[in-house]
Amino acid sequence: MIGINNIPVECDVLVVGGGIGGLMAAISAADQGAKVVIAEKSNTKRSGSGSTGNDHFQCYIPEVHGEDMEPILREMNECLTGGYLDQDLTALFLKESFDRVKDWNKWGIDMRPHGTWEFNGHAMPGRPRIFLKYAGANQKSVLTNEALKRGVTIFNKLPIAEVITNTSGEVIGAIGVSIESEKPELKIFRANNVILTTGTTNRLYSPKTGGMMFNLGFCPSCAGNGRAAAYRAGAKLINLDIPNTHAGPKFFNRCGKATWIGVLKDYEGKPIGPFVTKPSKELGDITADIWHGVFGIKNKAGEPVYMDCSETSEEDIQYMLWGLTQEGDTSLLNYMDDEGIDVRKHMVEFSTYEPFLIGRGIEINDKAATNVPGLFAAGDEVGNFRADIAGAATFGWIAGKSAAERAQDIKTFEPAEKSSIVEEKKQFYSELLSREAGTANPSWKEVNIALQQIMTDYAGVEVRSEHLFKAGLKYLKDLKGKAISTMYCQNSHELMRCLEVLDLIQLGELIMLTAQDRKETRGKHNRVDYPFTNPLNNNRFITVQEVEGTAEIKWRDRH
Amino acid sequence: MPPVINKEECIGCGVCAEICPCDVLHMTGEDVPQITYPEECWHCNACVLDCAVQAIKLRVPLPAMMLYLEARE
Repeated sequence: MIGINNIPVECDVLVVGGGIGGLMAAISAADQGAKVVIAEKSNTKRSGSGSTGNDHFQCYIPEVHGEDMEPILREMNECLTGGYLDQDLTALFLKESFDRVKDWNKWGIDMRPHGTWEFNGHAMPGRPRIFLKYAGANQKSVLTNEALKRGVTIFNKLPIAEVITNTSGEVIGAIGVSIESEKPELKIFRANNVILTTGTTNRLYSPKTGGMMFNLGFCPSCAGNGRAAAYRAGAKLINLDIPNTHAGPKFFNRCGKATWIGVLKDYEGKPIGPFVTKPSKELGDITADIWHGVFGIKNKAGEPVYMDCSETSEEDIQYMLWGLTQEGDTSLLNYMDDEGIDVRKHMVEFSTYEPFLIGRGIEINDKAATNVPGLFAAGDEVGNFRADIAGAATFGWIAGKSAAERAQDIKTFEPAEKSSIVEEKKQFYSELLSREAGTANPSWKEVNIALQQIMTDYAGVEVRSEHLFKAGLKYLKDLKGKAISTMYCQNSHELMRCLEVLDLIQLGELIMLTAQDRKETRGKHNRVDYPFTNPLNNNRFITVQEVEGTAEIKWRDRH
Repeated sequence: MPPVINKEECIGCGVCAEICPCDVLHMTGEDVPQITYPEECWHCNACVLDCAVQAIKLRVPLPAMMLYLEARE
């Protein structure tokens, strides 16, 4: 039987995941006087997709952009993170984003590394630029220190598996599974306010590099735990139906596409997009931001696509290499050095990466609250707003403040450790640990690969249809049954992965169910049985919520 | 598979095992960390950056090899 720590941890605000959103939520809640705990799967100093850095932060700075926010709002909707944003949240984000920039700058993340507020990259010629260039390589250690300074307790190596609610459906705590030692141990939290900030959802689709499911741009440990736990606790998820893909160097999957200052070209060296022929730090090639299908379409036409920086000035090359360092792409830079790949004379092939969830997930309001009392969410796992690192910083801050305010009104704790879900999960995790390892049963990895195959073929970005979704849902149900009844784990690390893969299957089902309801083609939701884009569905979002054990799907207008 | 630890240089401080975002390395009572789950490395370089004595390098596996050509004139 899996061990359980008999002393529940009590706190006003429990933050699940110590990435950018989680650390900002914790700092903000602590500033309001709340007792705050972060439960982090790895270590807040290096966890999540902001692990080793970032160099661009969306924001609105009136002294740069002017007093009228409208043009910046429009740019937000039209840039690569736009498309599925509630406008009230977007306006709120823009209004508060500069305050977060100033906070970070004050704390020691250099937001003005070249002396001025400098906006470059992810920009179209003649349009306002909304991505602030900054030096974010130290961001995780700085934010961790700021949280600790305010008395936040950080439990590293403690993934949260479930949110606990009472019979009225209010949050009363959470179940964590410590992976600190080889033997897992359950840790129960009593908390009336839980903020979910578990990032993107990766490992849903087959990786571009065969068998290497951790070779990803975004952090592969981010496996949708927050979204799945939120759904099980009764929260609404939104916009899961529209797939999202990132792009960058082919096979060496990294973020930072817009940090490259070059032109996307074909094999012969002919530019493929209309935006730039001579790259500069202000305007790299935005083609891949705008034309999401560019790599696939060109590849199908027999054309590989290259990032060519050979015409970039030496000054801008230096700027780009500095940017890649701040972006956290030092592994890529080290590799290029070792291999003698020089961006001044070599062009590097780029391609699209596998689909993942970012800006598709938990529905929040302007307090970063979900529909479940006491449950909040921020960062990459929010489904009705997206601004990547800046979104995590800004809505993390809002979530922390809202949760701390709510904590002032509710001062007593319910005995979350006595909830039936705790015993139920204890039994289930013990069973996973007790199963025979080796060849007799499937490992989490086997289940994950099987899931990725089904997702790629039945809910992919090439072809989607009613029959594929129906068949895919049946196959996922079969897989889930087998995983629950036969999957094994031998230690805490493998137990964490087993729970991740079960969450991924659940999200896979919800993707198929919601996408099945969108009977039109939109973006990479390519319904071959409904090839048109229905204008009546413009700015209409699909939500899904568990109601009495079934997935209730609804449509709503963007607000 | 990454990371690769230089056992001569490693001081066994365990920082890499502490901070790895994917729980790839573990201190299992040995002097140097064990690379328990090499296939779960996402090549983020955190261990390389945080190693106080520069004892870690990544070896990027061949399937992730970068593909490049001479730029055209």
